[in-house]
Amino acid sequence: MEQSSKVSVLDPRGQPSGVFGRRLDAQSKPSDILNPATQPSSDVKPITMAPRLNSLDGKTVYLVETGFGGSFEFMQELQDWFSRNMPSVKTLIRHKRGTMFTDDPDLWREIKSSGGCAAILGVGG
Amino acid sequence: MERNARTRGTPLRFSFPLYPVVGMSRAVLRQYIEGNDPITSEPLMNEVIGALTAPLTEKEKHPTTVRKPRHPRLLATDTAENLHRQFIENGWTDGLPIVLPTEARVAEMLTGTDHPADEIVGRMIITTHQEKMEYTVEKVAAIAVMAGARPEHFPVILALAASQEPSMPSSTTSWGRMMIVNGPIRNEIGMNCGTGALSPFNLANAVIGRAWTLMSINFAEARAGENFMATFGHNTNYNNMCCGENEELSAYEPFHVQRGFRADESVVSLFRGWNVLNFGIGSAKEMAHVISTFGVMYPAVTFVVDPLVAKNLRAEGFKTKRDACRWIVENSRVPVGHYFEGEMQAGMAAALAKQGIEPFASWAKLPKEALIAPRRSADDINFIVVGGETNPMWITTDFAYTQSVSIDNWRPKAGLRRDPKPLRMPAPVTCRDGMCGIPEVAVAKADKPEPVDAD
Repeated sequence: MEQSSKVSVLDPRGQPSGVFGRRLDAQSKPSDILNPATQPSSDVKPITMAPRLNSLDGKTVYLVETGFGGSFEFMQELQDWFSRNMPSVKTLIRHKRGTMFTDDPDLWREIKSSGGCAAILGVGG
Repeated sequence: MERNARTRGTPLRFSFPLYPVVGMSRAVLRQYIEGNDPITSEPLMNEVIGALTAPLTEKEKHPTTVRKPRHPRLLATDTAENLHRQFIENGWTDGLPIVLPTEARVAEMLTGTDHPADEIVGRMIITTHQEKMEYTVEKVAAIAVMAGARPEHFPVILALAASQEPSMPSSTTSWGRMMIVNGPIRNEIGMNCGTGALSPFNLANAVIGRAWTLMSINFAEARAGENFMATFGHNTNYNNMCCGENEELSAYEPFHVQRGFRADESVVSLFRGWNVLNFGIGSAKEMAHVISTFGVMYPAVTFVVDPLVAKNLRAEGFKTKRDACRWIVENSRVPVGHYFEGEMQAGMAAALAKQGIEPFASWAKLPKEALIAPRRSADDINFIVVGGETNPMWITTDFAYTQSVSIDNWRPKAGLRRDPKPLRMPAPVTCRDGMCGIPEVAVAKADKPEPVDAD
């Protein structure tokens, strides 16, 4: 092939499918994350964010740690920060059940039904 | 993460502390929280409070999904020199020279299967949550050309694509990979399963393993620092420890037969982990000792063993690979106190124990000196027989088996499309008369462990 002559080549990139991966089901085994056949996927629909609070004063904020290494300690420090800087805010630390890859619908229900006003989820690994 | 949420039409508010978090002291974590978001240079907690209290924007009130654009089938025509530069500068290669996927070369590659060029093979992405990218037989053919493959290799590469597993799944922990081919196709395409099988002495091993990573880069959109966050990365990803199992010299049934395939089927099996830990020589007792000395993120262990090791294990009394796996599980117990002292276990297994998840919850209640088996069943342990009987050694990996994929589904009905003179690198010189190796009678019977029958 002459270096100066022009050639036509295929674009090697994949095409968007409209299908997204999502968090493993609550009962999934941790090892399911290893295999695409056991990783749930779905189409997506836009989700509107919940209205924001005017202020955190006197509110209950859930600190949800996702299970990545260090996230529990991070949330403890975050709780300490609120105690020092915003003592009127009540904070509750919760561990998302299962591994960091699994959903925890029970926890989301608990937060909504027990007077939780806001939630901070973290931290990624 | 933020871009992904927007793409989905879920405009979550993110703030980023400094990184890493795992393994950092409480004092450091406090500094993170009191410091700035490294992306915006704004105080982190100002952002967090603002995320909870600032009114929603119009875009947040009315989110829409953002679709990625489709790519044209062909790139703009250009000189080969400029196209090579374009492939490198766009991050479409593994850094090594590629063969340009011209229409003619891709058309030739497509003769390696009967499947139509526009058939969708699968979807892939290197994270678990982003939009998956779809690819056709023709796209896979372009990747095969880039890797330097010939049409005879194409069914194996298609099977890899059909797995829908990227070779470089994104994790800050830097995944390594291994892929093992079983069945007749190993010999038909000249794969190396013997001496130097994991070294760069074989065309098929090299190009097939490389193709898996090129499809991970181009289909699964791996981009370092953007969505590929492995702190070290992993050198195995250059060809993903691609080789065949040495079925001919193995004392045990092939790996794919263990997984339910017929011996005359051709299959590729995939593994995923972090470490190739050591080399070992010795019996199952030594294998059990070695795996009792390192931490357990996932309980998997895959031993890559020379055929002589398999013969030795048979001589020790293990009639099947599974017999050996059972014995190793039972004899690699560690004190539970030692298990939970590990950083990984403290961060993950201890958290699961607190939630009442078994077996961690029961283990956490035991006295520290009680022995537990972190590899909980024979299914957690794999043996792959590879090598040329030049040393009765094994290497230990913490690789987990993920899946096996049929290659025969992608073979042309008329047989593999081979070149008139198939391209082959020099084959390793091997023992011609079968006399090399340790005779079974030489194995010390005094070391023979008692196989465990219970499964």
